[in-house]
Formats: sequence, structure tokens, C-alpha cells
Amino acid sequence: MSQKLVEPGLVEAVNLVRNGQVSLVEIVEDYIEHIERQDKRIKAYLTYNFGPALARARQIDSRSEKGKLAGAVIAVKDNIVTKGLRTTCGSKILENFIPPYNATVIERLEAEDAIIIGKTNLDEFAMGSSTENSAFFTTRNPWNVDRVPGGSSGGSAAAVAAREASGALGSETGGSVRQPAAFCGLVGLKPTYGRISRYGLVAFASSLDQIGPLARNVPDCAWLTSVISGFDRRDSTSAGLPVPDYFSNLELPLTKKRVGVLAEALLTGVNPEVAANYKKVILNLEKLGFKLSTASFPSWEYALPCYYIIAPSEASSNLARFDGVRYGFRANSGELFEMYQNTRTLGFGSEVKRRILIGTFALSSGYYEAYYARAARARQTITSEFQAAFKQVDFILTPTTPEAAFRLGEKQDPLSMYLQDYFTVTANLAGLPCLSLPSGLTADGLPLGVQLIGPDFSELELFKLAFLLEKNFNFKNNIDGITTVRKEEE
Amino acid sequence: MVSMKLDLNHLSRLANLKLTEEEEKELPGQLDKIIDWVGQLSCLETDQEEKFTPVNFSLRLEADQPEESLPPAEVLALAPDKEGDFIKVPRVLAGE
Repeated sequence: MSQKLVEPGLVEAVNLVRNGQVSLVEIVEDYIEHIERQDKRIKAYLTYNFGPALARARQIDSRSEKGKLAGAVIAVKDNIVTKGLRTTCGSKILENFIPPYNATVIERLEAEDAIIIGKTNLDEFAMGSSTENSAFFTTRNPWNVDRVPGGSSGGSAAAVAAREASGALGSETGGSVRQPAAFCGLVGLKPTYGRISRYGLVAFASSLDQIGPLARNVPDCAWLTSVISGFDRRDSTSAGLPVPDYFSNLELPLTKKRVGVLAEALLTGVNPEVAANYKKVILNLEKLGFKLSTASFPSWEYALPCYYIIAPSEASSNLARFDGVRYGFRANSGELFEMYQNTRTLGFGSEVKRRILIGTFALSSGYYEAYYARAARARQTITSEFQAAFKQVDFILTPTTPEAAFRLGEKQDPLSMYLQDYFTVTANLAGLPCLSLPSGLTADGLPLGVQLIGPDFSELELFKLAFLLEKNFNFKNNIDGITTVRKEEE
Repeated sequence: MVSMKLDLNHLSRLANLKLTEEEEKELPGQLDKIIDWVGQLSCLETDQEEKFTPVNFSLRLEADQPEESLPPAEVLALAPDKEGDFIKVPRVLAGE
């Protein structure tokens, strides 16, 4: 039989609880039963939180006053710290790490009665685009288990797509929410830098990192974003700006109608099905009365090399804290410096080591000017091109990924994996908000996504346009058979 | 930017990493390729200032006020090795 309470989306489930039609315990029990059966195939979670989740559900059920997220069952990427609940970052070096505090986003979710159902798999320290860099296992794409779910927030995306959560938190440094959202047929948001607190997000590249939500549809994503956004004094780069109610304002009239698209030349090398889908979306927008024009981005193609200098440089510095002294894994050695080396050598996987070495190189004496400083200037050039574009248009529309979900093991060369981030890294470098939403299926039945980039703190406008497009696309992200027992298991 | 052979020994020492035999074989080629590829940035003409963060809003100052921190016992419990109220590490210099 199917667990019917995993079917309603986040807002729908919250309303069911609010109207007294179902209890939280009923919802959580259905999720647990569904996860226990489904996750053997999908492997979305690194750690389940079933016991505490049920206990909390009982406690919330007993109260008449309930929070805005009572009914939401949330999966959390395992680089966001959760008090008393193991947080590994997908790394051997934190395999048994139990944080003594909660990230701000976790506090905000729990203050509104969301249930944290488990911690999801990721590429080690969020470095990757497929979850294949996890030190533990690879997550499968629920649409086709021979394909990757994307990454690095692949576990969070797979969990939401497979109905193993009603929403999830991921994190972004160069596209790690949007790319898995696109691969798994979901809505994912990379907020403006400073919109959502980074306190309690294990740092990868601090000038790029942001936490972002993943959801089955635009209203769910808007609801979740409203709860976790806003000023936090514990994050020194948190923006002290008011947060609009993204959900309640979704259907307000959209007055901004100018959409910038990418020049044909920037789409060479993109999979033909992705390019065709992108063109279809452009036509749809024209039919809806939007004014389309080509935006000028002379430096777009430099964004990837720029990102792959800046992100590893910051990572090499941030990851210096993992030395085996205060927490996490420690390798036995007779001497202190040897202990540091052995701990890091045994604790980190290959991709993490590659990036630490690249970053160490780019920041090292004699090369700083040619690499890091040059990338920092390129970053400013890219940012100023966006600023110029937003004088002409209100949104920029691009495909989210150069291709649909690829096969497990298909990208062996690190560089071919980096190219996955071609469309996504620009928003991170410029700090801009960017939302990815499903825009269709390939002939093989794999989801495709497009992304909308807006000026700083324009999340509400992104949600409004995305909501309009979502209704227009009529994309169905229900995967055949995912909530019913598969024949071979009966 | 010209391609250069990375001094992997020097870099791994700076990064406090030892490389496994397999990594010593694989990494030089991979890293050279990545460094060559990011080197295309030298073709970008720019007169811009270096930009280190994307923050486009004003940052604030914090009052310097002491507040409660995490309980020492909980933090110490995370340490791989401890002695009394101290985190214990191997000796800095080997030998007696």
C-alpha cells in the first residue's frame, strides 16, 4: 500500500494539519514508512532522525497553537549543523561529528514547528555536481536510478523528488541547489548573498556560500524561504533588510516584464535538447506578453575559470581548520605536525585534496597576482555586466544546466564535472538571487530546468514570475510508482 | 599566464597534506590541466578593482559585549583526546 500522506506538498500538508484533518504523527509515520522502503534504492540520507522526529510530532500535536511549518517534513543537507544530530559534510574527517549547536536556519525551522526527518548526502564538503564525491555512497536520481541526482545538494534533491521529504535545505557555492533541483524536477533557490544566515553552514568558500531551499513547487519554496530568511547577528555578512512574505504575495500582478536572454554564442556546446527547451520557454514568455531581448555578457565564459580560482582559494583557507585537534577524526601519530598531515591525508577525499592544492597554489607567493587577484578582478567585471544588464531588463533567463542528469560514473575527468556549472556560477560570483524551476522533460523522460536571475534582493519578483511559468508549463513532478510498492518488492 | 609544472611537494607541505602513491601519479596531470584551463582568465581585459565579496548592503559593527558561550564540557567532549580540562595533542617535537 502507499503512504498517502507523503503525497501532499509542503503547503498542502501544513493546511491539512491546520484544519485538523491529519495529525503530525500520522504524517511523520507515513514518511518514515515510505523512507524505509524507498531509500534503499535512492540513498538520499546519511542519517535518519526518526525517533526525535516522532517525539517532536507528538509534542506539537498536543499543542493547540502551531507554527507556520507544522506539517512540513524537512530534509537537511549534511553540511548544516544540527545539535545532537550527526553532521558529516559527506567526509570521513567528520564521520562521527555531533554538533553542540544548531545552525540559525535549523532554529528558524524548528521555531515554526517543522520536523527534521534526516540529514542528506552530498559531495564531500559540497565539492562536486553528482554526490559521487561523498565519502560514503552515491545518491540515485529518483527519475532514473542509473543517473546522478546532481550535486552537491543531491541527497536533498533526491529526497524531495522521491517524496522522502516535503521540502529540503541545500547549500550553494556554485550551483549546488539549482543543478540538483533541475536534475530532479524541483524548484530550488539560491538567495541573494546575505538573505539567509550562513551561521552553522560548514564553510566551503565564504564569499560564495549561501543556504537555499528545494521544494516540489514554487509556493512550497516561497513558504520555506520566508521562514528561513532574514537578519542574523551571528552571521557577519547577514543583510539587515526586511523580508517580504514571499508566499502571500505570489499572485500579486507582475509589473516587471523585461526578460534578458543569452546570445546564441553562449549556448554552443549545450545539449540540443536543453537548447530547444530554452527556446520553447522564451517563446512561451513572449506569448505571455513579456518583452524579450538579448543581454550582453562579454565575460560570461570567464565565469567558470574565475570561480575555479576563487572557490578553491577560499576552501584551502577554510578547510585548514580540520587538523584533528579539537573535533572530528584524528590519525594517530607520535608528533604534532605529522598528526595534522596524517589526519588530513586520511580524512579528506581526492576532490577535496585537489581543490585545497589548487587554492594553495593560487594564493601562494609568486602566483597570487596572476591567479587569485586576477580572478577577483574578473569577478568585478562579471558583476558589473549584470549591473549594466539590469538597467535594460528585469530578469535574466538561462538554462540551469548544459545537459540533463548524466549517468553514474560518466564524468571521470574532474574538469568535465566543473563544466556542469557553466550557467550557475555567475549568480554566485555576483551575489545575485537565482531560482531554478522545471521546464520540461527530455525524450528519455529526464527533467530539464531553466533559471531566473534578478537584481539583489528581488526574490519576490523571481517567485512571482516562476509561479506564473510553473502554471504555464504544467510540469508534473510526480514520478511513476515512487509512492507505491514496486512489483519486484512485493 | 604560462603553464607551469606545479611543485606538488611544496604545495602539499603548505597544505598539510601527504599524497598517496596513487595521488602522486594522478594529481600532477589533473592539476596541470586545471591550472592551464583557469589560465584562460589572462585573456580577459579588465580595468576593474579586485572584488572579494558580493556584499551590496552595509555591514554593521557589533558591540563588544561578553555573552554566554558553549558549555566547556560539551566542547571538550568533541576532542579526540583530552586530559582534564585540556585538549591533548602529540608532542610538537619528536623524541625526548
